Amino acid sequence: MKQKQTLVEIEGYFRKVARAVGLHWGLAEEAGKAARWLAAFDLPGPELMLSHLQNIEGKDYEQFKPIIGSDSINAHWHTNDQTLCPIITGAAIADRAKLLLNGHTISLVSAAYPILLAATIGQATRSHNMVITISWANVKLSCYGNGIRIEGDRNDLWLDKTEFVSCQQTFDSLPEQLPSTLAYGIDSEVWKVVDELAFRTYAPATEESRAGAGAGLTDND
Amino acid sequence: MNCTDQNPVPEAANFRRPAEVVMRLARMGSFHQTRLSFMRTLLRRLKNEQWTFDKPVWEIDGDGFGRAVYSVIGPVRTYSLVAFSHYLPDEMRSDRVIATAWDATFTLFDGVPTTADLDRLQQNVPKQEAGRISDSEISLSRANRSVRLWNHVIEKLSIGEQPDREQLESVGYLVRTTAVYGSGKFGAADRLTICDRPELSGPFQAELLSVWLTRAFAIDLVEHIAQSVGGVKATVIAPDLRKRIGVGNSTGLGMAPFLFNHPALINNWMMAREEAIARVRAVKEASAAEVAEFVTSFERAKFNFSNWNTVHEIQLKKLASLGDDLEKMSVYISTENLNHDCPWDRFYQWAEQHLSLEGQEQLVSLILEPYGELVDDLTGCMDADEHLSFIIDGSMTVAETLNILDLQCQWALSIDFDQPESQARFWYTSAEKLEPRVGERFNEPGEEYESPYGIGFYISQLNKTLLGWAETHSEQKPIADFLLAHPEHRHTLRRVQNLKNRPYAEVQDNVIASDMLPIDLLRCKLSFFGATKFDPRSDRWVRICMYQDCPHPDELLARKIPVLA
Repeated sequence: MKQKQTLVEIEGYFRKVARAVGLHWGLAEEAGKAARWLAAFDLPGPELMLSHLQNIEGKDYEQFKPIIGSDSINAHWHTNDQTLCPIITGAAIADRAKLLLNGHTISLVSAAYPILLAATIGQATRSHNMVITISWANVKLSCYGNGIRIEGDRNDLWLDKTEFVSCQQTFDSLPEQLPSTLAYGIDSEVWKVVDELAFRTYAPATEESRAGAGAGLTDND
Repeated sequence: MNCTDQNPVPEAANFRRPAEVVMRLARMGSFHQTRLSFMRTLLRRLKNEQWTFDKPVWEIDGDGFGRAVYSVIGPVRTYSLVAFSHYLPDEMRSDRVIATAWDATFTLFDGVPTTADLDRLQQNVPKQEAGRISDSEISLSRANRSVRLWNHVIEKLSIGEQPDREQLESVGYLVRTTAVYGSGKFGAADRLTICDRPELSGPFQAELLSVWLTRAFAIDLVEHIAQSVGGVKATVIAPDLRKRIGVGNSTGLGMAPFLFNHPALINNWMMAREEAIARVRAVKEASAAEVAEFVTSFERAKFNFSNWNTVHEIQLKKLASLGDDLEKMSVYISTENLNHDCPWDRFYQWAEQHLSLEGQEQLVSLILEPYGELVDDLTGCMDADEHLSFIIDGSMTVAETLNILDLQCQWALSIDFDQPESQARFWYTSAEKLEPRVGERFNEPGEEYESPYGIGFYISQLNKTLLGWAETHSEQKPIADFLLAHPEHRHTLRRVQNLKNRPYAEVQDNVIASDMLPIDLLRCKLSFFGATKFDPRSDRWVRICMYQDCPHPDELLARKIPVLA
């Protein structure tokens, strides 16, 4: 059964889920924004984000952060022996968005959930007032400040891994899809898992903490 | 409006108070409501745009239980408060977020609800967080009766008498709201649904509309019950007493994280307020009418002070200072020239020398009163596109980042975090109904659940790590390279970059220090709402009054003219 979750809830819960599986707060914020960004287009970003976050739980950041090399643009980004994390890598590319303005291409070797990578980069395009196109397998996703365009085989959007991704600035198209929903329909069982993971960021209630939070006097007056 | 490019009073820049003066907890905890406060913005709009008012549903039984609908009708849209009144045993009445039942529950409906809508809402709104509302609803809230006043008012009205004025004024409200949720919470409409509507684009306009209508509902409800009890003997509340009834609110730490989680918005609230103060300080000559309006506002402030009750020692001290300050201001007003030579700036400079922070902040609120035409446009600058403040500019150099830290973060860099008292507290969210709380780091478990609100500490850590990194790399490297190596600083770096264009975005005090008073944060936020009578019940819990002395819907707005068949 599907249930509606508002975009505010999607963002807030996924920020917590990302934190719960071990990402630092700053990257957890990116994960929340990316899940929200895809949900706004009614794309299954929240479900894929959940799968990815469950996969990376407890993993060491150093193991799967991108190795860029001294020439941060033209080299192929990769990790030593893992697939690239789309949140960490997407944030690193978004941070370098201005470098793409010069016509450079950032290429990735072996990345998990490329759609999440596109979302992490895509939600940054509005600020930079540019279009970034991310290509993998047989599909291209162009991210505009206010919309997206998908070209090629849509089935490849949902790949959990791809061997090669390229990101570059593009100019010659218009978005074909604008954000279409403010409340995303998600399977109730999936949301239950999201809720349980987010719950891990809350401190168990103790008498001590309960006592310290209230009025200290009667509040029934 | 674009608040930077279209500044009509450029000379005000010389009078603007810097963030290091304004963004201190002690000063923020002394703020008073101003004419830019959100409640006043809302009522000004409803009046200016000639909204009308209607009560299409009143299905309340003789004991006061049932449902009702209050609608305000604007030039384009209608909004309706849907109210449910319930039986609540005394022992279940609590204002804490961990409560599970309330005397009354509410939602603000987008439009006019049908009977089917009301039936759906009746299944969910009374459950509050445990229920589910839809994108036809904009807010979700609840209120409890004031035990001190509720029965007294009903008893008196039912025998045809008026409630005791002193008792009524000392409490100031019939019901206290205990949470007002908006912006996509529990299924409600996302902020994006309403942010393009002029009447709701400003901060908390929907929530405060709901509270204003809740006040009307509470008064109707006591009069209804009194009528049911007393029959023909019963009377209604006299108009002069009726105006003295506001809506209470009890709030704890739940309100504080908002100030940490919305830096761009907080910056805009503060900038607008400070710009307003600066514009008035830049006024060279004040007319007799402007001075007269200031004096009237000053007299009203003295009256409000005389009705401001508290038993908490912190607030008692502050009120004693404010009392002294008001006396000194009285003398100043009667002896100094308020017409010429930048009178408001001279007054403010005198206040800085002679008054406590309570008095200084009272004064800055009062000098805005005669100058609606000069400052009210700033209410259009108090919302924020928070997306724009989220994106990190990774091309900023390490040197430039260090420069921001050096110029704008000395307040944090000067704190010795090796001292236990500097990090004695930690903020966290409790599993118990997700209530935000503050723990004692060295005496309580749970530090591993810490929320990232102690920004001063994180800034000091970022500064230390970045200086070390710059030594082995280069200050000309883009900050993106540092972030890749140090993802633990991403959250803080985002906020530090934000300061470049938003200087008032951060509270410039240590919010994890042993002597931090959370009520300072609460008072700051509530003053922006327009609250009065701050009455702390502890260092982290405050009771307030909203809309006291403001017009009621049937006074401010015309009743909707019924359409004849």
